[in-house]
Amino acid sequence: MSDLPITQSPITQSPITPPPPKRRWRITRRGFLIGSGIGVAGLALGITVGTPYARLKIAEMLASGQGQPGSFPVDPFAWFEVLPDSRVRLFLTKVEMGQGVHTALAQIAAEDLGVALSDLEIVQASTSQGPADGNGTSGSSSVATVYQPLRQAAATLHQMLRAEAARVLGVPADALSVAERAFVVTAAPEQRVEFGALVAEQKNWEVPEEGAPLKPDSEFTLIGQPLARVDIPAKVTGEAVYGYDIKLPGMLYGAVARPPTLAARLTAAQPGAAATMPGVHQVVIENDFAGVVATSRAEAHAAVDALELTWDEGKLWQQAELEEIITVGNGNGITIQRAGDAPALLEANPALIQAEYRSPFAVQASLEPQAALVDVQLDRVRIWVSTQMQARVRSLVAETLGVDEAIVEVTPTYLGGGFGRKTGFEVAVEAARLSKAAGVPVHVGWTRTEEMRYGYFRPPTHHQLAAVLDANGQISAIEHRQASGDVAFGFFPTWLATVMGADFGSYRGAQIHYAIPNRHTIAWRHELPVRTGWWRGLGLLANTFAVESFIDELAHAAGIDPLQFRLNHLPDDTAGQRMRAVLQAAAEKAGWGTPLPEGRARGIACCTDVGTVVAEVAEVSLDAATNRIRVHQVTAAMDCGLTINPDGARAQIEGNIMWGVGSTLIEEMRIKDGQVDINNFDTYPLLTMRDAPHVETILLEAGDGRPRGVGEPPIGPVAAAIGNALFALTGKRLRQLPMTPERVAAA
Amino acid sequence: MQLTINGETREVADNSSALLLWVLRDELGLTGTKFGCGAGICGACTVHVDGVATRSCLLPVSAVAGKTIRTIEGLATAGADGVRTLHPVQQAFIDVQTPQCGWCMSGQIMTAAAFLESVPAPSQTEIVNAMDNNYCRCGCYVRILAAVTKAAAEGLNAKTPSGQVAKKMQVAA
Repeated sequence: MSDLPITQSPITQSPITPPPPKRRWRITRRGFLIGSGIGVAGLALGITVGTPYARLKIAEMLASGQGQPGSFPVDPFAWFEVLPDSRVRLFLTKVEMGQGVHTALAQIAAEDLGVALSDLEIVQASTSQGPADGNGTSGSSSVATVYQPLRQAAATLHQMLRAEAARVLGVPADALSVAERAFVVTAAPEQRVEFGALVAEQKNWEVPEEGAPLKPDSEFTLIGQPLARVDIPAKVTGEAVYGYDIKLPGMLYGAVARPPTLAARLTAAQPGAAATMPGVHQVVIENDFAGVVATSRAEAHAAVDALELTWDEGKLWQQAELEEIITVGNGNGITIQRAGDAPALLEANPALIQAEYRSPFAVQASLEPQAALVDVQLDRVRIWVSTQMQARVRSLVAETLGVDEAIVEVTPTYLGGGFGRKTGFEVAVEAARLSKAAGVPVHVGWTRTEEMRYGYFRPPTHHQLAAVLDANGQISAIEHRQASGDVAFGFFPTWLATVMGADFGSYRGAQIHYAIPNRHTIAWRHELPVRTGWWRGLGLLANTFAVESFIDELAHAAGIDPLQFRLNHLPDDTAGQRMRAVLQAAAEKAGWGTPLPEGRARGIACCTDVGTVVAEVAEVSLDAATNRIRVHQVTAAMDCGLTINPDGARAQIEGNIMWGVGSTLIEEMRIKDGQVDINNFDTYPLLTMRDAPHVETILLEAGDGRPRGVGEPPIGPVAAAIGNALFALTGKRLRQLPMTPERVAAA
Repeated sequence: MQLTINGETREVADNSSALLLWVLRDELGLTGTKFGCGAGICGACTVHVDGVATRSCLLPVSAVAGKTIRTIEGLATAGADGVRTLHPVQQAFIDVQTPQCGWCMSGQIMTAAAFLESVPAPSQTEIVNAMDNNYCRCGCYVRILAAVTKAAAEGLNAKTPSGQVAKKMQVAA
């Protein structure tokens, strides 16, 4: 029997509590932050993302004779609070969208603090309690960037509490050990002092001058353990609260008019019949914006449909025009990798092997659409939102309303999926405009059609690959020419995009990681009349599909087993050794080279991304009657360095593989007559359980004690592994995603 | 109009066109039932109507008057001491560590619970067919299958050993 106490979720209570007192932080000489101003005793210790940066700023201040360390205003990005009732709270700015980051960070923190995971309360910080975390939660970066500073803060807090406990108990600090949330004298455990008692009195805590020692990796009891996720119990009872779920007394619901085409501009708007429709409280028409606030969502949407709107439709774009834009050689390419002189060796070489690949627009399709509740008051704006980027929400809402950021408080909720889409901010801005006009809290939750059409998309890509083989079957020169719609540049100022030239989001995974003496990668970026941007792994899936399919083509041209061919081209360095290990592990587990039942074949592919290496073997069959590809199993081996939670890492591999299979077999968004030609899951279906492969996972460790990202790298090899398996099975090479029955039949 | 939800009688506005999903979520505050597509495709809004797994996003509330509705909030059973026991399917989803983002999970669990009531000892193929109409964008299919298989193997009346229960995320006031 599992006993869960029946409690109200704290998140639903928070709207009716008074504003929290503003905490002030002072930075210490060692770059930590000590909090004060919470109105009670207790101890708060925080860390900035860039402790070295903070130290640098201190050094600069001291050098210039301005200010003192204690007065330097810095907000922490994660912090501990020890309260007089002995509770230990860990405040996190990183948001939980299913990737298990709260659990992983709690494991890291509890390890050096010396407490059990269950003794740590995880709190999602609102921006009024600390910083907004300008990095947001994205790019598979949270654990890798937070790991070291969080451990240092936890170890320092432990040391501070230990020193105080030693003073109180009158024993040397090393005579103490932690028992639950108390220090006890190891030799006489009846002598104890609770954490709460140590912080019960207001005092000026000082961070020790010497760095607190970190626990050696060999003594880890939490890091590296497959511990249960802290967020899961609330997710099986319906109690977990997401942006779509937030309630406030007196709240109403908003809906917003959407343009009929990609290029449409609102030229005239009148309330028309909407103003007098049932449930309508407010019709809001401002410049390019028209929306309605009503008692229910249905009434708000019905009234939006009744608004008298005139649109200038603009150019009616067609899919073929966009594909023509996304073409290698169109405009100026930027060289992003150069070793040797591949172009000279490839030009007019009679032995040249070349191929072209394409990938389409795709949608993130989080099952929870965009949602925010915003309460705009005269001196305070409160926002609850499913967001990966609370800093961006805060600044854009402040800008839209013309208020100071300091009065805008953003509280991230649980996210019903993020996948890059929830770095957007539109829904909070819409709810803010409507709340300001209506004078009450307004919730805006997008419909599926809005989610499908009015966000930003994974951009289409085009790839030209060319290579020559030497007499031994080794690649002597290779070139990858890649064109893509923007990913990161869609969110950057124009000048920065111009300076950078090539979009790192678009070319993620495009470079050739094999030891080939002549390697050349060129990227063409294109702004499209369709918004494109973040999508799980950014360009990784498309680029790895092109490169790793082509490597497979070269292996077959050389007459060498595709696994062996890859191994033959790995560099003789740490990166190459790690790649060799995952390739061999995945191949061995998948039974590479052993016979399969009639009608099945295997394909292999690999990638390196955010310091993590992944290899995957797909096992497929083809239904001869329908030309449908069936992926039976994917075996993945990943080395993400130090793994904080192996079960969480495996879950990320599994999820990425499902994403990859969906993108390989099904997912495609197209433009037609100036509009996005999908509106729900009937026109953009997702993978379901029947088509989900069995997944085997192998976790390897680089052995250097450093964690890397896991949220995206495993998506990279999926499409290529499937395509390579299909070639092994049928001799058909599919060079365009998705690999639909029509394309299989035509190949 | 009166509805019977999770064993309680609830009064709701007499609006024949209102959809059950939004009455549950926005009028009654039962936000455990999720919106995913509004077209009956993804299954996030699945509830039980007279024990049958039903998509609430297309269902006019007038159609369920007098019927027994169960949502994810009513799946666990509460004892007199205020302590509740999770439904075996909920417990299996914890034991297997199934959810990622969790948005589809109420629908997955309600679908599985109704299915196992009607097919107590299903084959793997029967489970896949029963769960095939519930989307999970995070791609938890391997673990959804494992969890439903586990719940089926242990039986709906089995008292499973206590799962690992950790604290919920909090948003500080």
